Amino acid sequence: MAVTDGSPGRRAPANGASAQIASQLAVATCSLLGIAASSLVLAEEQPEWEFDTALLYYGEDGERVQDLSLNILARRLFADDRILSIGLAVDSLTGASPNGAVPQDEPQTFTRPSGDSVYAVAAGEFPLDDTFLDTRYALTASWQQPLGRDFAGTAGVSFSTEYDYTHAGANFALSRDFNKRNTTVSLGLAIARDELDTVGGAPVPLSPMAGVGDLSGRAGSESKDVLDVLLGVTQVISEKFVVQLNYSLSDSSGYLNDPYKILSVVDPLSGGPVDRLLLPGAEGPLHEYRFESRPDKRTKHSLFGQGKYFVEGKVLDVSYRYMTDDWGIDSHTLESKLNWPLSDSTFIEPHIRFYTQSEADFYRVSLLDGEPVPQFASADYRLGNFDSLTAGLKYGWRTGGGNDFAMRLEYYRQDGEVPEDQLIGNQDQSSLYPDLDAIIFNFSFGFDF
Amino acid sequence: MASPCQVLSRADRSIAQKQLELAAAEAWRIEAKYSRYLRGNIVDRINSALGNAVSLDEETANLVDFTATLYELSAGRFDITSGVLREVWTFDGSDRIPAEKRVAAVLDRVGWHKALWQRPLLSLAPGMQVDFGGVGKEYAADRAAALAASQSDAPCLVNFGGDIVAAAATVDEASWRVGIESLSAGAGEACKRIDLQRGGLATSGDARRFLLRNGVRYGHLLNPLTGWPVVNAPRSVTVAADTCTQAGMLSTLAMLMGADAEKFLESQSVRNWCIR
Repeated sequence: MAVTDGSPGRRAPANGASAQIASQLAVATCSLLGIAASSLVLAEEQPEWEFDTALLYYGEDGERVQDLSLNILARRLFADDRILSIGLAVDSLTGASPNGAVPQDEPQTFTRPSGDSVYAVAAGEFPLDDTFLDTRYALTASWQQPLGRDFAGTAGVSFSTEYDYTHAGANFALSRDFNKRNTTVSLGLAIARDELDTVGGAPVPLSPMAGVGDLSGRAGSESKDVLDVLLGVTQVISEKFVVQLNYSLSDSSGYLNDPYKILSVVDPLSGGPVDRLLLPGAEGPLHEYRFESRPDKRTKHSLFGQGKYFVEGKVLDVSYRYMTDDWGIDSHTLESKLNWPLSDSTFIEPHIRFYTQSEADFYRVSLLDGEPVPQFASADYRLGNFDSLTAGLKYGWRTGGGNDFAMRLEYYRQDGEVPEDQLIGNQDQSSLYPDLDAIIFNFSFGFDF
Repeated sequence: MASPCQVLSRADRSIAQKQLELAAAEAWRIEAKYSRYLRGNIVDRINSALGNAVSLDEETANLVDFTATLYELSAGRFDITSGVLREVWTFDGSDRIPAEKRVAAVLDRVGWHKALWQRPLLSLAPGMQVDFGGVGKEYAADRAAALAASQSDAPCLVNFGGDIVAAAATVDEASWRVGIESLSAGAGEACKRIDLQRGGLATSGDARRFLLRNGVRYGHLLNPLTGWPVVNAPRSVTVAADTCTQAGMLSTLAMLMGADAEKFLESQSVRNWCIR
């Protein structure tokens, strides 16, 4: 069965006489029905395929992380609201990231994660490990369809791989409509198994950083399991106002450490580094450091609320999220965007996001020489106490052919401080935390056929 | 109408109820007036006039003017006197094709040019019959939609067995989702989905009424110039136009063009979907 789609754009050379038929028919019909002619016919075929592509650049200041990623999402629409979605993403990460050690008044040397060589950091600088040149490939696929009159279901899988990390997961969601589709309740479940094949082997937690060639403190590959559950309600309040409320639970167990992060061991009175014995001819750290240790379980609870308000053609979106976990971290996120159409085919969208987080119970800026090593400790700045601000603007336009383009530029600033009771002597709260400035640029393109 | 009819409305319940009542009343009125099965209505009086002139009311005269124009525009392919061919053709899925002699005999009584139309008087030659079935349903859909739309600015859609009109006061409103029935997957399965916001949508097709003989499929649309089914017509033609009447006439004319259906529709610059 072949279907041809005649659209006004594809005209065969018109026979002068027959081209008159439609217009004369229009005149005759207006006479018959006693109406005025209108040529406004709005009938468009639903596309079979929809594509969304995006190119994203993320760049931190200094010599820190830069990420370039390409995302493609393809959706195939079938009859009766059944949809197959396939997503592909490629991420290329370069640059350096803080390794957890604190800056000192003298140069510091560290062994690379592979154990093959060392890298040095100048006095007064935040130690950054630039080993992270990595490309990650990710694939997702999901199927969505109505189940009966009121239910809809989704099932999907996700997979990603990079040289030292593999992720595989499955997700399911079920939703039901009530009150003439003004209320939707949904339940979602996701499970994942991640495997870490750390370069050089995962270090034994809290073991000292060893010299080049010494992998005695290293174990093999590790894994972690994650379970996510989400319960949500979306409610149409009025023609112009929709709200959503979600509760989610995330449970991780297994190897939750960052195998590349360390803590400095410092003198309890001066805060200075503790020298490490280095034999002549040997290469390795000049000072004492220990690998971090986190609990092997983490349970997070989140509560999320969002409202979308339609006013004079613009859409205002405001959301708030509260997260708390059994690592002692509490966070609040307040975010808002305003979609502002400039014309029938263009819009701008300013965006702002505030985030604040309290540090994990086992967050330590450094370990004190001579004191018993605690059971858990991490100096990873992402587990610390910090505030961040994201502000940006997006500009989008739709071409005559119905394709969507958008550009987004955002600025991200993260400021943190270490707990006062962890300061030694004249140390300053903010100067021990590696603040962050980053620029995000995103270009996206969507089309369908 | 012999088809399921529905009215979909986004207005408040009480207004929607009124819209439904107006649309249904109009559908029944037109059906009663132009059905060829009812005794005493205007169609019956024209068809039993035995050569005498019949004076037509305003509405019927308008319809006759319209179908006369269509007869000219289609070079005789659309003809309201072609209904008598029904006497020799029964499209029941069997292989019973009538003999050529029988078709030729009936063809003598077909031809709008043999009728005498001088508004408001219409007279047919003996043995001729008129039938408004080719335009009646679409006309009813447009009239019913106009009555329903007069009650509210909220979008409403009238669907008379596949002849559809979507009325929308503004273009910001969301569309109605219309499915074109798949010919292979069976009744109720859509093979194409169209988002209709405003306008008329009509489909001509041979999905249910046909004859099959020696592997050749004869659709039920008869060419009044030959008396035989149109050859090589698409299985189904759907057209979107300003009104359902226009959409219906264009889809019928396209089917009557047989193999040239797609070319005809392209030359008319109308949104269309043909299935072969």
